Amino acid sequence: MPAAQLVSAALEVTLNKLLDMDPTSEHKLAKLSGKQMLVDITESPWPFVFSFSDRVDVLIANRDEESQADCQMKLSINTLGVLKDSSQITRLIQNNDLVLDGDIHVAQAFSQLITEMDIDWEEHLSQVTGDVAAHTLMQTGKSVIARMNHRISTLTTVLAEGAIEEKQIAAHKILVVDYCDKINVLRSDTARLEARIQRLERQLGQD
Amino acid sequence: MSNSQVSDSNDTAVTEGAEVVAGDKQSDAEAQTHFGFKQVEKNQKASMVAEVFHSVAAKYDVMNDLMSMGIHRLWKRFTIDCSGARAGHKVLDLAGGTGDLAAKFSKIVGENGQVILADINNAMLNVGRDKLRNLGIVGNIDYVQANAEMLPFPDNTFDIITIAFGLRNVTDKDKALASMYRVLKPGGRLLVLEFSKPENELLSKAYDVYSFHLLPKMGQLVANDSESYQYLAESIRMHPDQETLKGMMDAVGFEQTSYYNLTGGIVALHRGFKF
Ligand SMILES: C[S@@+](CC[C@H](N)C(=O)[O-])C[C@H]1O[C@@H](n2cnc3c(N)ncnc32)[C@H](O)[C@@H]1O
Repeated sequence: MPAAQLVSAALEVTLNKLLDMDPTSEHKLAKLSGKQMLVDITESPWPFVFSFSDRVDVLIANRDEESQADCQMKLSINTLGVLKDSSQITRLIQNNDLVLDGDIHVAQAFSQLITEMDIDWEEHLSQVTGDVAAHTLMQTGKSVIARMNHRISTLTTVLAEGAIEEKQIAAHKILVVDYCDKINVLRSDTARLEARIQRLERQLGQD
Repeated sequence: MSNSQVSDSNDTAVTEGAEVVAGDKQSDAEAQTHFGFKQVEKNQKASMVAEVFHSVAAKYDVMNDLMSMGIHRLWKRFTIDCSGARAGHKVLDLAGGTGDLAAKFSKIVGENGQVILADINNAMLNVGRDKLRNLGIVGNIDYVQANAEMLPFPDNTFDIITIAFGLRNVTDKDKALASMYRVLKPGGRLLVLEFSKPENELLSKAYDVYSFHLLPKMGQLVANDSESYQYLAESIRMHPDQETLKGMMDAVGFEQTSYYNLTGGIVALHRGFKF
């Protein structure tokens, strides 16, 4: 079975779905129209070619054949993560961690297309659930995430400090009590969230 | 030549409609060709093939997905991947039917490029045109009713020619390949995607059962037309195997010919260049 084509097909569908939800993508795509960009990630069994029109077609290239793509980028998966920080690019190229050939504008426009996706999730959710529910869900989601983050960060500090005083048995006790407290708060938060979701569901059912 | 001689491996190969089958006239071998497992007069084959695709046109896409469990989409993607298509290219999707390949080429070659969807059968062409228009694919695509054996285009016209699941239906394959070679630009390439010979004995057996027993039944259920799908199964078996087809491409002038087996050789993609 052609596994590579299964992967490129999945990538293509996902990418185009995301671009469809981004009202600014049309303009960004227009700049790329007619161009092709090859991305060869060392760890990937095949290089991908992104072919731009009013959408993006994802093709599989052959490493044994010379590519005709307008811009070619070769890098490892680790470098891919660093790429977001544009101040690093010169260093990456100098170190040969990133090989860029051809029209650099294509690479820039492509990276803009991907990293600056502007998707209004609330808007898209509302098409499924209705405006009010979507808004509430998004707000709840955001505040839950914020609270979780806060909890995790305090927990990490506590644990970090605890680790320093490893030998003091008393500290352990305090830690455990504190931990249990936090779990309790979390539990009641979760219960409240659950009730809220049930309420929303009922509301949706009545619509 | 009789039916039973070519179909001894499988009795279901003998179907009704025997009136279109030529009799036991050995001397007529020159004027005959195969239609599935049947021997028919050469000048009849085209219209018989036409009838098959006329009757399957409307349900063609559904059946394709069903019969191949969607894998035909991946085989076609592989074909595009091997085509080297770029903005500005001129592409001929021959025997293009409902236009799966043409749709993708149209995006890739862009407004400065051109795609021609050609098929001998008007019904298939119409289904293809409607489908592509609904997908918003217009502008750089043209529809031409044409026989692969006598392509109505000037020499050296196309950068890429594809023929997917079409060559086995063509009566005179050598003539068709030569015609494709003629209209290809120097530097251009031909891609032939076609059913072929499974590499492995076991797979071959399983595939036989599938295509001769299951396929016509599915055709009956979904498209209410088991005979057409019986023909498809038979025509697949009569099609030249990988090496033979490669040799045929070499013979008409193609260079650097090669093929890739897909899904164990159930399908093969042949590629050849004109320099
Ligand atoms: C199985 S369909 C393939 C359609 C499409 N390429 C695909 O892969 O889905 C075969 C097509 O070949 C066409 N065909 C048969 N003989 C032909 C010929 N001599 N010249 C051009 N097209 C032909 C049929 O009309 C039919 O549309």
